[in-house]
Amino acid sequence: MRLLVLIINRFLWFFPTILGLMVITFTISHVIPADPVAFVAGDNATNEQIEALRAQLGLDQPMHIQLFHYIINLARGDFGVSLYTLRPISEDLASRLPATMELTIVSVLVSTLIGVPLGVISAIRRNSFLDHVVRIFTVSGLAIASFWFAILLQLFFAMELDWTPLQGRTSGWGPEHVTGFFLVDSLLSWDLSELRAATLHLILPVTTLAFPAMATIVRFTRAGVLNAMNSNYVLYEEAMGFPKRVIIWKYILRNALIGTITQIGLIFGILIAGAVVVEAVFDWPGLGYYAVQSIIQSDYNAIMGFTFVTGVLFIIVNLLVDIAQVFIDPRET
Amino acid sequence: MRKLTSNSQQASMKRGLIPAFLAAVIISVTGLLAPINAAQAKNTFVFANASPYDTMDPQVVFDVGRVAYRLNLYDGLLRWLDNPPKLNPWLAESYDISSDGKQYTFTLRANAKFHDGSPVEAKDVAYSIDRILALKKGASSLFVKVIKPGSTKAIDNRTVQFNLNKSSAIFLATVPEIHVMNSDLMKKHEKDGDWASAWVSKNDAGSGSFKLKRYDPAKGFLAERFVDHFLGWGDKYLDAIEFRTVKEINSRVLGLMKGDFHGADGYMPQDQIKRLMKTDEVNVFEEESMRIFYFIIHNGRSPMNDINFRKALSYSFDYTGFIKDILSDSVARNPVPLPNNIWGAPQGVKGYTYDLDKAREHLAKVKEPLREITIGALAGYGQTEQAAVLLQSALSKIGVKSKILSETWPVASGKMRNEQQMYDLLPLWKSTYYADPNNWVGEMYYGPNIGSRNNSWYQNDQVDQWITEAIGSTDQAVRAANYAKASTKVMEDAGGIFVYNTKWFGPYNKNVKGVRFCPIGNAQEMRWVYFE
Repeated sequence: MRLLVLIINRFLWFFPTILGLMVITFTISHVIPADPVAFVAGDNATNEQIEALRAQLGLDQPMHIQLFHYIINLARGDFGVSLYTLRPISEDLASRLPATMELTIVSVLVSTLIGVPLGVISAIRRNSFLDHVVRIFTVSGLAIASFWFAILLQLFFAMELDWTPLQGRTSGWGPEHVTGFFLVDSLLSWDLSELRAATLHLILPVTTLAFPAMATIVRFTRAGVLNAMNSNYVLYEEAMGFPKRVIIWKYILRNALIGTITQIGLIFGILIAGAVVVEAVFDWPGLGYYAVQSIIQSDYNAIMGFTFVTGVLFIIVNLLVDIAQVFIDPRET
Repeated sequence: MRKLTSNSQQASMKRGLIPAFLAAVIISVTGLLAPINAAQAKNTFVFANASPYDTMDPQVVFDVGRVAYRLNLYDGLLRWLDNPPKLNPWLAESYDISSDGKQYTFTLRANAKFHDGSPVEAKDVAYSIDRILALKKGASSLFVKVIKPGSTKAIDNRTVQFNLNKSSAIFLATVPEIHVMNSDLMKKHEKDGDWASAWVSKNDAGSGSFKLKRYDPAKGFLAERFVDHFLGWGDKYLDAIEFRTVKEINSRVLGLMKGDFHGADGYMPQDQIKRLMKTDEVNVFEEESMRIFYFIIHNGRSPMNDINFRKALSYSFDYTGFIKDILSDSVARNPVPLPNNIWGAPQGVKGYTYDLDKAREHLAKVKEPLREITIGALAGYGQTEQAAVLLQSALSKIGVKSKILSETWPVASGKMRNEQQMYDLLPLWKSTYYADPNNWVGEMYYGPNIGSRNNSWYQNDQVDQWITEAIGSTDQAVRAANYAKASTKVMEDAGGIFVYNTKWFGPYNKNVKGVRFCPIGNAQEMRWVYFE
C-alpha cells in the first residue's frame, strides 16, 4: 500500500516537473541570440527568403505563443519536426535512444556487478594492500578525463593489440531492428556474428563509461559496509555463530546498499550526460551527439525532444530507485 | 518434502541453465573468428565524414560537408568536374541560350533513367526547380531572383526551358545545383503539400551513379552501384559506397590507419595530415581548392568606415607567420577576394604585408576617435580563433584595443545579417558554391547584397558597376576583366583582410585509385573511384 502511495505521489509530481523542465529549456534555447532560420536558409539566402522561411516555420510569433503551441502539441504526442531535416523529431529520437540506452544500461550493469563486490571486499579487508590498491584505482576512476581515457583505450586495444574495434556500434548495419538494442536483437534473430560484433563494439565505450561509475559505487559500498560492520546487529549475529559469509553478503550488504542504490540512480543520469563525450569519440550513434548538434544548430524542437526524453528517463529511474529502496529497507517510505 | 525436492530440482536446473547460457554467449562472442573490420564488404568504399548526414533531401542543404549524397545519388543537367572546375554536360546532352540571355533550353539524354527504372524527363526538371523555389532552402537563393515558380516549361519529354526574369551570366554555373528528382515518385509520397520532404529526407528519388540501400541519420548511408546509369561503367568501379559520420578527427585518422575507412575529408589540421603521411597505408593527395580565408570588416561602422583604419588593420595581420608557422605552409597566400585559381583572378597583385610601421602611418591619419573593436571568432573552428588572437596581438602593438568574441556559427550567421549586431571584424571562409568569380567578389562586395551576402556593408559604385556588367554579360573575357578590376579595387580599399586560399589534402587508402578532385564536391563523387 505504501508502495502504491509512493508511486502515485511520484506520478502526480511527474507532470509539473516535466512542464517546468520544458518551460525552462524552451526559454533558454530561444533566448540565446542564435538565428537558426538564417543558418537553415544558407549562406547565400536573401533577407526576404529568411523572413519567409521564419514565417513558414512559425518562428515569427511571440515566444509565449510558440511555447503554448509546443506544449499543446507535446500533450498530443507531437514533438514537431527538425528545422533542418523536416523529419519528425520522434523518429530521430526513436532511432537514437536505443543506442544510448544500451550503452548506459550495460555500463551501469558492469559498474555495479564489479563495483559492489569490490567495495565489500575492500571494506572487509580494510587497510590491507588490496584495499589500498582498490582505493587508488577508484581515485583514478574519479579523476580521469573520459575523453583522454577513451583515446588511450582506442590506441592500445584497437590499434596496438587489435583486440577490439576502433569505433561504431557494429561492423555493418546491425541486426534486424526489433528493439533497437543490438544485443537483444541479435539474440532474438539468433545472429551470433552480429552478437559478437555488437559485444566487441561495446567493450571500449562501456569501459570508458563504467570506470568512473564503478569508482563511485566501490567507494559508496565500501563506506556503507564499514558503517554497517560496526552495528550492534552484526555483533549479535557474530555472537550467534552465523557464518561470516552470510553476515556479510546477506545482512551487512543489504544495509550497506541503501546509499549505493541511490548513487546508481544518479549515476544513470550522469552516464546519459557523459555519453555525449563517449559517443563522440567512439562514433556511437546515440542521443548524445544528436543533442550536441541540436544545441549548436539551435534546432529548437530537437533540443526540446531530447530534454523531454532524458527528463522522463531520469524520473523513471529515480522512481525505480525509490521502489528498490522500499524493498531493501522497508523503513523507507 | 516433495515440494522441497521439487524446488531444489528447479534451483538445480536454474543453476545449470545460467552457466550454460553464459557459456553459449561467450562461445558465440569469442568463438567466431571472422575478423571484425568496418570495411567488410569487398569493393565497398567506406568514407569517414565529419558532418552528419541528417537528411537525404538534396534540395534542403547546400554545403560541402554533406555533398556526397547529392553528387552520388542525384544528377544535374550539367556537372562541375576537375580542378580548375569545368562545366560538363550531364543529364543534358546540349543546351541553347537565347540572344537576350533570358531563355535557356536544355535537351536531355535519351538514355537517362531514375533508380526505379523510369526515364528522366523534362517534367522532372521543371518539378525539381519549382520544389527548390517552394522550399526556400539549400540552393534556392541562387535561383529565387531569376526564376519565377512555374516559369520552367517542359516543351516535350526531352526538352526543358528555363525562362529567366532577367539575363544572368551566372545561371549556367548554378545549374548543377538543380538536382533532378523523380517527380512521379515524389508526388506519390507528398503529404499535406510538403513536396514529399519527410519521405525524401530518408529515401532516394534520383538517377545518380549510386542508389540508396541503407540510411541511418545517426550513422550515414550505404549506396550500391546503379548499373543502368546513363554514363555507363568501364571495367573498374566500386560496387557500393558507404559514407559514415565520424565526428572526431582522431577517430577518422585512426580508422584510416587501421583500414576501417578508405577515405576521409581533406580539411583536417596539418598535424593529423602529417601523421597520415607517415603511415604506409594512406596516400594524401594535395590540390589547391577554392576556399578563401579572410576577415570581414564592417565597412559601415566607425572607425572601420575610414579607409586608413582599414589599411592599418590590413597591415597588422601577420600573413607569413599565420601561414608558415601556424598552418605549416598548408595553404596558399591569397591577397584578393577571389581565389588565385579561378578565372578572373587578378594576376601579380601583391596585396598587404605585415608591416606595423605602415599600419601606424595609416592609423595616424584616422580622423574619427579610436575605440575598442570587437573581433568575432567561430567557436569550434580553431583557425578563426588563432587568426583573431594573432590580429589582436598586433593591434595592441599599434595602440588599438580589441576584444575577441567567440560564438557558434548559428549565432554568428544571425549577427552577420544585422548591421548593428555584426562584429567589427570576423574571420571565416568563403567556399565554392558555384565556380564563377561572382561566387566570391560578386556576392561578398556587391552593393545590392548588403546585409545578406555582403556582410561587410561595403559599398563602392565603381565596383557595383563592374559586377553588374559582369552579371549581365555572356562574354567571358569582359566578365573576367570586370571581376579582376572589382577584386583589385576591394583589396585596395582594404574592404576585408584577405589571407589565404585553402589547399585540400585528401587522405585515401593506398589501394584507392581514380580519385578526381573538384573544388565543388571535394572529390566525393565516387563513380570514378576503384580499388587496385
